[in-house]
Amino acid sequence: MNEKEMLYQKRLERYTTAMDCGKPDMVPVAFGIGEWIVKYTGTTLQEIYYDLDKSNNIVSEMLPGLDFDIFKGGPSLWWPPMFDAMGSKLYKFPGIGVDENSTFQFNEQEYMKADDYDEFIASPTEWLVNHYLPNISKELENPGSYRSTVALIKGAAAFAISGGMMGAAWGKWTVDHGIVGQGTGFTKAPFDTLGDALRGMKGVLLDLRRRPEKVLAACDAITPHNVNCGVAGAGADTRFPCFAPLHRGAYPFLNPHQWDTFYWPSLKATIEGLWAKGKRMLFYAEGDWTPYLEKIAELPDKSIIFQIDTTDAKKAKEILGGRFCLQGGMPTTLLTYGTPEKIKEHVKRTFDELAGDGGFILDSGGVVMGDAKKENVIAMIEAAREYGTY
Amino acid sequence: MSEKEKVLNPDPGVCVPWKVKMEEFGEFPGNEEIAKKEWEKLDDFAYNFIWFWAQR
Repeated sequence: MNEKEMLYQKRLERYTTAMDCGKPDMVPVAFGIGEWIVKYTGTTLQEIYYDLDKSNNIVSEMLPGLDFDIFKGGPSLWWPPMFDAMGSKLYKFPGIGVDENSTFQFNEQEYMKADDYDEFIASPTEWLVNHYLPNISKELENPGSYRSTVALIKGAAAFAISGGMMGAAWGKWTVDHGIVGQGTGFTKAPFDTLGDALRGMKGVLLDLRRRPEKVLAACDAITPHNVNCGVAGAGADTRFPCFAPLHRGAYPFLNPHQWDTFYWPSLKATIEGLWAKGKRMLFYAEGDWTPYLEKIAELPDKSIIFQIDTTDAKKAKEILGGRFCLQGGMPTTLLTYGTPEKIKEHVKRTFDELAGDGGFILDSGGVVMGDAKKENVIAMIEAAREYGTY
Repeated sequence: MSEKEKVLNPDPGVCVPWKVKMEEFGEFPGNEEIAKKEWEKLDDFAYNFIWFWAQR
């Protein structure tokens, strides 16, 4: 076993021990190289998004100088050429629709109409192909046309090409730098699948009043698909959690009754379905989930890693600690507006409050914004090593 | 509704079930498992591509 393989094993042990609520040799640190890196590289955000090689090279150049355990990925979340090929209406990307150095914007619309519920519920995958893809893709507006057929060929090819490139990059980072990836598989709460991309916020909130039974039936129809998306195929990896960014479940998008009725049952069923297959979820609780911690505690032990963004961290520790690994602790706002000294103080305090008996991973609370300061991000991982030994 | 328009309601991970394809093949003199395995791999790829767009 060479030096990098030994490093990988050490980091993997640290990560898996914390996931299982144990106490490793030191507090594991999760780290991502986000959009904030762009202003230090002499490139534009558009270049980083469009040119995957350039984006991956930036990561490769940075990794040797950084000591952390769990890698969350590089600065480009999406590959816009695939969206361009389909004529996608879903996003405005840097350089197309927004300034070349602005982050992407989601263009939320009712891509699924209220009248579509029954057909969607009857066969979700077929409805997505027959109606949703043409609704969200200018190039697919006339299914069967020359432009539509070419766009589908290009879109699917782009999906395979980008997947292959990213797979190769992650393999290289693992071999060259001994990094451990955060997770495998991607899923969402069924209510978020419905409320984010299909009905949109306005649509789904109106549906809660006007057609609540359709919302519940749609969430039930989505649930087995979201289990499948999280597992990422039969025989796939179960060592690492699937990533699940959770949106409308944050307080106070929904009132507690709505949360109990519409959001939680299908998310819980998704988590239980994943756990039955041995797959854990990184419960990426964006925003504040404090009012729902008692409900979340009903989940099977260790079935999630609970991400602390603006949720009350002490209450999360009190209610979930010992049964579920907690991840987070560093406010994203502090990474933008703080100083290295304040970051170090915060890391020390966080370890004192949350990490004492293990089952904790230090991470930014949410997605680190493009205006975060590099010196603050670096200070976070340096402080973690300074104060993190058990 | 024609046979081709029949609602399939495929399971998670599936777009066009192998069973449906086999019925269309009719007689299949070779080793079905060889063809089925590769069909299902590509079918799973298509499924992931389709759901990618809904999981934004």
